Amino acid sequence: MRLYEHEASALFATEGIPVPESKAVASAVEARRVAEELGPPVVVKAQVLAGGRGLAGGVRMAGSPAEAGEAAAQLLGSTIRGMPVDRVMVARRVEVARELYLGVTVDGYKGLPRVILSAEGGVSIEGLARTHPERVASRPVSMVQGLRLFEARQMAREAGLVGGQTVQVAAILHALYRVFRRYDALLAEINPLACTPEGQYMAIDAKLEIDDSSLYRHTELGIDPEGRIDNPLERMGRQIGVTYVDLDGEVGTISSGAGLGMASMDIVGRRFRPANFLETGGAITEELLYQAMGLVLHKGGLKGVFINLYGGINPIHEGARGVVRYIQEHGVTIPVVAKALGNRQEETWEILRRGGVHVVTDVETEKGVEELFRLMEEGTR
Amino acid sequence: MSILLDRATRVLVQGITGRVGQAQTRWMLEYGTNIVAGVTPGRGGQDVEGVPVYDSVSEAVSEQEAEASVFFVPAPFVKDTVFESVEAGIKLIVVVTEHTPVHDAMEVKEYARRHGVRIIGPTSPGIITPGEAKMGIMPGNMFAPGRIGVVSRSGTLSYEMSADLMAAGLGQSTVVGMGADPVVFTDLPELLALFEKDPGTDAVVIVGEVGGVQEERAAEFIGREMTKPVVAYIAGRSAPEGKRMGHAGAIIQGGLGTYESKAEAFRKAGVEVADSPMQAAELVRKLV
Repeated sequence: MRLYEHEASALFATEGIPVPESKAVASAVEARRVAEELGPPVVVKAQVLAGGRGLAGGVRMAGSPAEAGEAAAQLLGSTIRGMPVDRVMVARRVEVARELYLGVTVDGYKGLPRVILSAEGGVSIEGLARTHPERVASRPVSMVQGLRLFEARQMAREAGLVGGQTVQVAAILHALYRVFRRYDALLAEINPLACTPEGQYMAIDAKLEIDDSSLYRHTELGIDPEGRIDNPLERMGRQIGVTYVDLDGEVGTISSGAGLGMASMDIVGRRFRPANFLETGGAITEELLYQAMGLVLHKGGLKGVFINLYGGINPIHEGARGVVRYIQEHGVTIPVVAKALGNRQEETWEILRRGGVHVVTDVETEKGVEELFRLMEEGTR
Repeated sequence: MSILLDRATRVLVQGITGRVGQAQTRWMLEYGTNIVAGVTPGRGGQDVEGVPVYDSVSEAVSEQEAEASVFFVPAPFVKDTVFESVEAGIKLIVVVTEHTPVHDAMEVKEYARRHGVRIIGPTSPGIITPGEAKMGIMPGNMFAPGRIGVVSRSGTLSYEMSADLMAAGLGQSTVVGMGADPVVFTDLPELLALFEKDPGTDAVVIVGEVGGVQEERAAEFIGREMTKPVVAYIAGRSAPEGKRMGHAGAIIQGGLGTYESKAEAFRKAGVEVADSPMQAAELVRKLV
């Protein structure tokens, strides 16, 4: 789960990272008042969870409170890279002489945190690491030992900093690592870290993504993850306990595993466009599949639904009852094809067939998808 | 022959008294797994399906000589349960649990390396040596004994892949579901190395998916060290960028983790890339 800049910035500040004074507001009037309090010039920044916000016009400079109000009025209610703006952050403007990059991320393959520092900020760090690896200091950190302050200073020197700069920047990098660990982050990033003409460092952007699997131990953040999902269908998916990804197509899919869901989507995509990805995980119940059917069919215009289930951990016979109940209660008229294999498969097939679902007993996903294509072309259910 | 698990392996089930633990213990016993003990703290002295339950792993090890353990414990307890198991002398662990915090997984991976313990998962469907034993949740009827090794990031696709191999007349030596979290305890090249050494395995099928660099690293390993034929299938060709596709690790980000990158790495290493599990099974049949 990504945090908004104003939330991340506040958490960074609690670990001692210098950040500009700021406040998040939801109206132009408030934006103007905050600009007065802070004293112009200020920056008005759209609070959206999208990269490339600055290039998309989501960051405005304001020389006076009136300009701050105007900028907020323009941003609020608009969309930046498809994301609606309902809040802006008004921050004191920092004079920038130089920009640096600081980040801590998960090196998935090594299975360790990776700390990254570059004396060139404000750019794509992945791009810089590809074209000029020598300008990026990067190292994995032991979870047992953590990042030592002297290691952070070594990295600052590797990145080309000298003298007192290394001490200041290393302290900020160390604090960023502490934020990463404390909040179970997948990514903690300052891009850019500004260096003012007076030689002071300040984080003028703040990015923090928290591991969804760890949210149960971060109730102190008081964040409702569902509220962060902009797509209403994807939000509904999270509410009912499935992973739903909205796609632009005409064939709905439901699968009992992520890999199976991707394979189903890929194979449907050979001839039609999948309307969604939906994965139930390992907690299938009758109710869950009833609701999953409702979610998939929520957007109209579908031409067919393909269901792909395995009964390993999942009671697929219970899920089958939910599918059938939905079809009967809602008079579904498009073809629904199900492939359901594993523990209690015969019982599952019987339930599905009685409920008007076309059952494919082959193991190959493409045979199930081909059966659906055939029915779609015949125009029967 | 097989890797990691056979009918003699003395298996412990952790979280055995939970709903899933009980049901899966029954399926594993029916399959022939040598389950010697279960552990649920506070439930020692009970039994599940005739298997004695202990309060601690050290009791299960000293009383029943358990050597491998399969976890059905809730995600917040995975880390501590690994520490307890390793200290008690367990050498192989399968973590079926989903949603283990990534920072816990990083801590466990570093710890397991230092202690020389093999851990599969998290979010693993388990390990199955068909006809002998299984540690995990795989439905037994989707597998048959044979000489093809299977490694899969996805659980459900490990079933489909094995059943497709069966339909093509090919059984499996061992099938390992390595899990698809951003951090997994045992990486793809390590599992390929085990199959390369196993005299009971003639060829290996990799079921990969978008996200991360496991497939790219596996391709480097294959090009460098593998002599047995390898075929790959990669799920998620049509996955959009920036979305987690059900698995925490299945996400294309900043242009990394794409289908194209993985398919190209495999092809460069001489690995044929199939368009579906069924096609992968057909490719293997031609190779062996």
